[in-house]
Amino acid sequence: MSALPIIQLRAVGKSYGANRVLKGIDLDVMRGEIVTLIGPSGSGKTTALRCMNFLEAYDEGEIWIKGQLLGYRSTGRTLRDRDSEATIAEIRRPVSMVFQQFNLWPHMSVLDNVATPLVLAKKVPKSEARRKALAALTRVGLEHKADVYPTRLSGGQQQRVGIARALAIEPEVMLLDEPTSALDPELVEEVLTVIRSLAQEGMTMVMVTHEMSFAAKISDKVVFMEAGRIVEAGPPAQLFGNTRTTRLQQFLKPWFDRSLSIAAPADGMTASTPQVEAAQA
Amino acid sequence: MMNNLITILPSYGAAVLVTLEVSVLAALLGIAGGFVINALRLRFTRSLALPYGFFVWLIRGTPYLSQLVVIYFGLPALGVTMSAVQATIVSLALYSSAYFAEIFRAAWNSVPHGQLEAAQVFGISRWARFRVIELPQAAAFALPLLANQVILVIKESSVASIITVPELTMTASGIVSATYTYIGPYALLIVAYWLLTQAVSLLAQQVSARIPFLRKTS
Amino acid sequence: MNDPDFLAHAASYLPQLLQGALTTLWLSALAVVCGFFAGIFIYTMSVSQSRLLSTAARVHVSMFRGTPVLVQLLVFYYVPSALGLDLPGAVAAAIALSLNTAAYQSQILGVGFRSIPRGQIEAAVTFNLTRRQTLWYIEVPQVVRTTLPALVSEMIDVIKASAVVSVISVTDLMRVGQQLSSSTYRPLEAYSLAACFYLGITTLLSITGHVYSRYATRRG
Repeated sequence: MSALPIIQLRAVGKSYGANRVLKGIDLDVMRGEIVTLIGPSGSGKTTALRCMNFLEAYDEGEIWIKGQLLGYRSTGRTLRDRDSEATIAEIRRPVSMVFQQFNLWPHMSVLDNVATPLVLAKKVPKSEARRKALAALTRVGLEHKADVYPTRLSGGQQQRVGIARALAIEPEVMLLDEPTSALDPELVEEVLTVIRSLAQEGMTMVMVTHEMSFAAKISDKVVFMEAGRIVEAGPPAQLFGNTRTTRLQQFLKPWFDRSLSIAAPADGMTASTPQVEAAQA
Repeated sequence: MMNNLITILPSYGAAVLVTLEVSVLAALLGIAGGFVINALRLRFTRSLALPYGFFVWLIRGTPYLSQLVVIYFGLPALGVTMSAVQATIVSLALYSSAYFAEIFRAAWNSVPHGQLEAAQVFGISRWARFRVIELPQAAAFALPLLANQVILVIKESSVASIITVPELTMTASGIVSATYTYIGPYALLIVAYWLLTQAVSLLAQQVSARIPFLRKTS
Repeated sequence: MNDPDFLAHAASYLPQLLQGALTTLWLSALAVVCGFFAGIFIYTMSVSQSRLLSTAARVHVSMFRGTPVLVQLLVFYYVPSALGLDLPGAVAAAIALSLNTAAYQSQILGVGFRSIPRGQIEAAVTFNLTRRQTLWYIEVPQVVRTTLPALVSEMIDVIKASAVVSVISVTDLMRVGQQLSSSTYRPLEAYSLAACFYLGITTLLSITGHVYSRYATRRG
């Protein structure tokens, strides 16, 4: 089993002008691991995630994808040290992303949305791309919507298409940026179900989310960030059951107040909703 | 070449005056005409809707050049003769009046009906409603469009060179064919028009910034 | 005067009138198509990081929108010949009209480009589409759809503007009208007839545009 992390962050920093959003982030994501980033808004968790596929350019430290430095040629971090677009594309090839606002392309059918990255970026022939796209759609339960246009779908369905698109390129790690935050409450569960089944199959994931009980159940590692730094990190049992820092305790207070049990059950991952647990408590 | 440019400047100066004279007159007549046409349309909506539509369709569906030649070359057959300059001013005024009428129509429609109803309910007279509510807002809406149309009039005036009106384009072409130099005169021609259009733009911006009620509130 | 005379003459001129209309149409179509691609190019230049490119784009737009089409036409016809390159009237006309409509289309299309949510571009970047692929497969199809009414309006403007090419001896609809006028000595009827042809063309285009946008919005 390779001990090389699939994604490594070392002392990563990022500023927007005078505003320092990331202040030295160290993080390892191992193959098969599910890492969840939690924290208040403005903590930098989304920025950290978006640096992992160079959607945002970090300006301090290093990010390694499968052992290759992402985004820069040498140890310099100015614009001039940036790798070419082609090199960046090559290095982030194993990384895929699911967006909070889905970011589907409205002028294409669902099938074309999923197939387009394969056709254009991976140069897969159209017929094979459509086959793979259909397989990905089946995986998320939407193969019957292949020829429909995104605007006709519900939010939950659109996000599942987004997940199918992220899956179709056969990534080695998936980044999920608050995948359910833009959804109406009754649509959240269908998306979480898909994410859970991907996790069960061993997909490596880094997820930013506010769904605490979900995070507790499926994560291998939970990372709590505040003001651009990692405050506490560890398995869910530790972070939620045996919180070390007062800041995390304060952050989690609303969830504890609602009498929700968010400790990870000992028997592994079982589907459960917060309502069920509150009833059981 | 600079020497040559300096020698032709006076002719350009005279030509600019002709261009301005023609354009400004036509624009003023066009604005007045367009305003009246729109006012009439508002007053006699039922009987004038169709003629108005036909008028606008005709003027906006054909090139200005074709309208100019119909008026200058064609009208004499009906007993109406006019000089090239007169024909230009008349045709340009007619042409722009259709566009100005449409601008005024849009400007009046831009004032939300609810505001006028509220004024009516509060007993504000028709004239006061027009003066205090409709006019300022419609004017603010219309000003940039009016300025743009004036710019279009200045540009269209160049077409009058075809019927030998001594405006900018005709003058430049005359100099070109007389001296066999092309670059200097044409470069100066471009600069002249560009300065004119920029000036109108800037003037409009200044006007809308200075006059309080013309500043857009939203 | 003798109307039947004119009508007979006009009827015999019908082939030329149609030929002239066709010239007007293909010249305008060529200009609009070239102007479309040039307009996209100018827009991408205007938002480029390079100061040089963005300034060049702004200068182009300012120059071509701030000066008359006739002047642009004369420049592209006479100046090359002064520099030793003799351009046929039709070529000079095509170049001038294309560059002119490119300036206007860059502004029209720009509105469309700016209305595309950034997230769609981020998704394209994430999935490693090149900038060119993102432009042509993701952005342009949507931009055309949203700006179509304005583009049709611009097409109509190009057809009307093309009337001035008659002065550099291109046998377009306007020029055939002139020829008909000189051969019949009936300028009023001749020029009015030419104007009617223009009116027919612009009206047809306008109706097509309306019908298409009604159809397109229904498909959703």
